[in-house]
Amino acid sequence: MSDVALGSRAGSVVEELRKLPAFFRRDLLVMWSYRLAFFTDWLNLLVQIVVFFFVSRLIDPAKIPSFGGERASYMQFVAIGIAVTSFMQISLGRVVSAIRTEQLQGTLEALLITPTAPTTIQLGSVLYELFYVPIRLFIFLGLSWVLFGVTFEVSGMLPAIGVLIVFVPFVWGIGVLSAAGVLTFRRGTGAVGVGATAFTISSGTYFPVGVLPAWLQPLAKINPITIALVAIRRALLGGAGWAEVTPTIVLLLPIALVSIAIGVVAFRAALRRERRRGTLGLY
Amino acid sequence: MSATIDRDVVRPPDAPDGRPPAIEIDDVSRTFGIVRALDGVSFAIAPGEIHALLGPNGAGKTTLLRTITGLVEPDGGEVRVLGRPTSDFSSREFRRLIGLVPSGDRTFYLRISGLENLVFFGRLHGLRRAAAVGRAWDVLEAVELTQAAKQRVGLYSHGMQKRLSVARAMLMDPAVLMIDEATHDLDPDGALRTRRLAETAAARGASVVWATQRLDEIRGFCHRVTLLSHGRVRFAGTVPELTAVAMTRRYLLRVLVRDDPTASAREIVARIGAAVGPRGAVVPAGELDGSDVVLVLEEDAVLSDAIARIAEAGVDVLACREERSMVEEAFLHLTGGGQG
Repeated sequence: MSDVALGSRAGSVVEELRKLPAFFRRDLLVMWSYRLAFFTDWLNLLVQIVVFFFVSRLIDPAKIPSFGGERASYMQFVAIGIAVTSFMQISLGRVVSAIRTEQLQGTLEALLITPTAPTTIQLGSVLYELFYVPIRLFIFLGLSWVLFGVTFEVSGMLPAIGVLIVFVPFVWGIGVLSAAGVLTFRRGTGAVGVGATAFTISSGTYFPVGVLPAWLQPLAKINPITIALVAIRRALLGGAGWAEVTPTIVLLLPIALVSIAIGVVAFRAALRRERRRGTLGLY
Repeated sequence: MSATIDRDVVRPPDAPDGRPPAIEIDDVSRTFGIVRALDGVSFAIAPGEIHALLGPNGAGKTTLLRTITGLVEPDGGEVRVLGRPTSDFSSREFRRLIGLVPSGDRTFYLRISGLENLVFFGRLHGLRRAAAVGRAWDVLEAVELTQAAKQRVGLYSHGMQKRLSVARAMLMDPAVLMIDEATHDLDPDGALRTRRLAETAAARGASVVWATQRLDEIRGFCHRVTLLSHGRVRFAGTVPELTAVAMTRRYLLRVLVRDDPTASAREIVARIGAAVGPRGAVVPAGELDGSDVVLVLEEDAVLSDAIARIAEAGVDVLACREERSMVEEAFLHLTGGGQG
């Protein structure tokens, strides 16, 4: 590729990246216009913490795995599980529904006739969540700490964030792949929800993977959510540092890249198919 | 009415300085399943021309506009913009040349303001935020929406949303502006404003494709017209040429049914229709008063004979006034709509 072509390509990428804050601002303004839903989300979060706090009183701490030599309480165990999987579910839900929502509200074609790459539209449509959901996650953990004394290792925060950063592209890739399916078949958000729940249940969010049936345990262990969760729990409950979470990051990185590549290819193919069929605006 | 609305300007497909047509549609076809939505459609539009794409519902107008914008791929044929096939442009380059005002109502984010919507779309066109805000105010002023700029679009009237849609299409001063059924449900003032916006765009050199099924608005407004029906071009030329193709005669009658003064509009139309037979057709003139009907006669039919037959059928003709709606007749004639 010539220098001119490379330069032009780099220029295009920069131009596309410059558009992303516009999506963020749009979604922030839209979300803020639904203030009640915004506050209800926080209320739900609080209720969830309260419920699991009382459930935790029924669970024998001896059955909870230990992290960094210290046995964790069920509340500590489940708080991280809920934080990470709600992060995944909200992000996944938004990626899947972003294009569908544009289609339903009639703005998809208006977006697609602007000189904006479909990938930018996809990424831009979830950018707000990519900021909001991690903030929500840390506030959730903070509330658990303040209200119910659920403590976490502060030293493990940055390594946990490191794992989360490589986990995000994996979720995005799965989401874009699902969005391609929804764009093609017009339905399927329900199936995506079932898939996400299956992933969550087998990931050790609410209970240790060790209590699953023996035949399911090998599958649960290769579930990327399980892999991420184990590392994040080690960091936040056992104080694991970068050296201990790096193998997980190295393992998750190619999974995330493959997930994104498959998702983007599938989404472009779905978009091309819709253009060919002339059904892009139909819902 | 403005002087520009009254004109009957005819422009050639090529601009006087020899520039190529801004847009050329060459033998474009598109099939959806068994439906041939576009069948070998060809025409060209000069820079600065307002070109009516006329046709009844299902004629293929929207499909053609969507094909030009690249939202639908044609099965065959080619679209050229500024003399180059669209495939020669990068998609980003091509989309900077076109603006579309879609026919649908919901093409904006209703929870945010008109200004924020325009700034968002301006940024997707590559403008920096400050430039996008400045440009948004410019086009809001052009469509007379500055007062409502900070209101949520969900609170806009239909006409305001349509003007906002025109404003969005004009954000980047596109070379080709396509307006799909912009005025079909606007009040006369809203429709006139929208037409003036299209005229402004044409005056600065944009080619305007004005898709409509309304005949009353193309005379004196559009330079040329292409009439589509069932996906095929049935006529291409000027509006006066269109009316010359099929000029028929229409009369507005005020009538009274002798034996039943309270007869409904439907009964009156049925009785007169049976009386005039196949040489004419009759339709109610309006919804308010069933006693007014429009009688359309074939070119060689005799009016007095028709009135005599109506009287024989027990209907008195109280008044008769000739009506001229030549464009509509031409439209019905060319699309086969007048044969029913």
